[in-house]
Amino acid sequence: MILEFLQSLSEMQIVGELTLLSLLIGGVIMAGGVIIAKIAKLLFHKYYAPSLPKDTAQNISKLIYFGILIISFLGFTSSQGIDLSGIMVAGGIFAVVIGFATQSVVSNLISGLFLIVEKPAKHGDTIELPDMGISGTLLDIGTFSSKVRRFDGTVTRIPNEKFFTSNIRSLTLSTVRRADATVGISYQSEIDHAILVMKNEILQTMPFVLQIPEPEFRIEELGESSVNIHVYVWHPRDDWSNTQPILLNTLKRALDKSGIEIPFPQRVIWTGKD
Amino acid sequence: MKIMSDNSEISFSNFGVYNLDDQIELTLPNTMIKFNRISENAFSYYRENSEGKIVEKIIPVKSSDVKIELAPIRPLNYPARRTTHLFLQFDKEIYLSENSAASIFVNCPIEIGVFLVHDSNYDSLDWVTCDPLNSRFGLYGSPDTGTLCKYAKVSMATDYDDSDPYVEAVMQIVVENTMSFGQSISKVVFPITDNSLYYQNSKAIIDGLKITMKKRAAVNIADVQTISLETDWSASPTWEDKTASTHMEMGLE
Repeated sequence: MILEFLQSLSEMQIVGELTLLSLLIGGVIMAGGVIIAKIAKLLFHKYYAPSLPKDTAQNISKLIYFGILIISFLGFTSSQGIDLSGIMVAGGIFAVVIGFATQSVVSNLISGLFLIVEKPAKHGDTIELPDMGISGTLLDIGTFSSKVRRFDGTVTRIPNEKFFTSNIRSLTLSTVRRADATVGISYQSEIDHAILVMKNEILQTMPFVLQIPEPEFRIEELGESSVNIHVYVWHPRDDWSNTQPILLNTLKRALDKSGIEIPFPQRVIWTGKD
Repeated sequence: MKIMSDNSEISFSNFGVYNLDDQIELTLPNTMIKFNRISENAFSYYRENSEGKIVEKIIPVKSSDVKIELAPIRPLNYPARRTTHLFLQFDKEIYLSENSAASIFVNCPIEIGVFLVHDSNYDSLDWVTCDPLNSRFGLYGSPDTGTLCKYAKVSMATDYDDSDPYVEAVMQIVVENTMSFGQSISKVVFPITDNSLYYQNSKAIIDGLKITMKKRAAVNIADVQTISLETDWSASPTWEDKTASTHMEMGLE
């Protein structure tokens, strides 16, 4: 019964020598190839990827997946008796046509390759793209686009061409990073004393702030109502969230404890009668 | 042992191995640790530190013969494990004239590890620091290429017994100047993972260092090597943080 069915398929010619049976075999080869590629990728992610650096694992995973797909495709074409040399000849003209039609797609593809080779940032790095106002964790550099998980949890897809040509600020390449804040004290307060109490409070209550280099204090401005002091502290690169958000709070607490005034803006208005 | 605090006399638990029967309470400076048997094969663990932070764990055990060990460990875990290097800044500079050597003792900070001992295996259960205010980071070198270190300003000790219990271990540093001119040394930076710790009662000591100041081509360098101690004090188990996981098989609800 099945043999008769297959026999009938082999007799049903579509184009030239291409029959329904050979098309079916080709489909099975391609489907098998896709399934094997997915399984191989899954097994790689399960057993080997955790022990490799993230970006290396992603690249090897893609190599395995697309390598199996290409082999499947070659199997499919040979099962159909397709002569690839003909395609190669026609390929030149075809490539020009496709090139014009899919310029941005090809551009993204090439940019993706350059990104993988140049590695301006790795998977898992915290990056900032100032041109686009995007900052977050680089999740993946894909074939055509890259994905960045922003700090609010949403994922932004960026075409590789834009990603490659934009400024990339890496927040994880250096061992340490610097956090800063500006605080104003009244003109009546003694600056050296204010700096001393702020420094002591930072070093005692902020365990992630580095002792060397020490916190730095610069008089930024003699403002309208206050002497503005800019405070710089260094911290391990992964501990921004343990430092920057609490820095101002620490400075204010130190000044409050010592009774040093943080003045409100004041303006003296003289009227004509005076 | 007895240590006087500001207002009252507090008895602190010594380093060592304790049998875990039904209940055990260990007291350290600013830290309280309690084990309680909650069933035939399980214990509860409770720890409160100087900052009021409470850690509670349930510990299932296979055999009834379970012990715990309280031991000094390398000071790398508080406030978070970020490095394996230690930066010791001496409170006084040491000057060595040309072709001379000296041996000094310094007080090196420590943390305290709690280990579960069963069938001669040591499992890292928890760690505490009795001196969180002096457990900080420092950078050796420039921000882009420097080495992040745990930083401590240390004082000189007279011998292996001259240390603050539970907070410091004594380390011997042998400094040798092989250069043809005098040189001062005020700090040492080294990977502390090669240095083992040893304890006796409440005191701790740590493998020493040999610092050789020498000229290599046109550069003056200080070569730092670890010196293994030969002592009858008990060797401390190596602390391994096993809480971090790089892989999750499946989530359970």
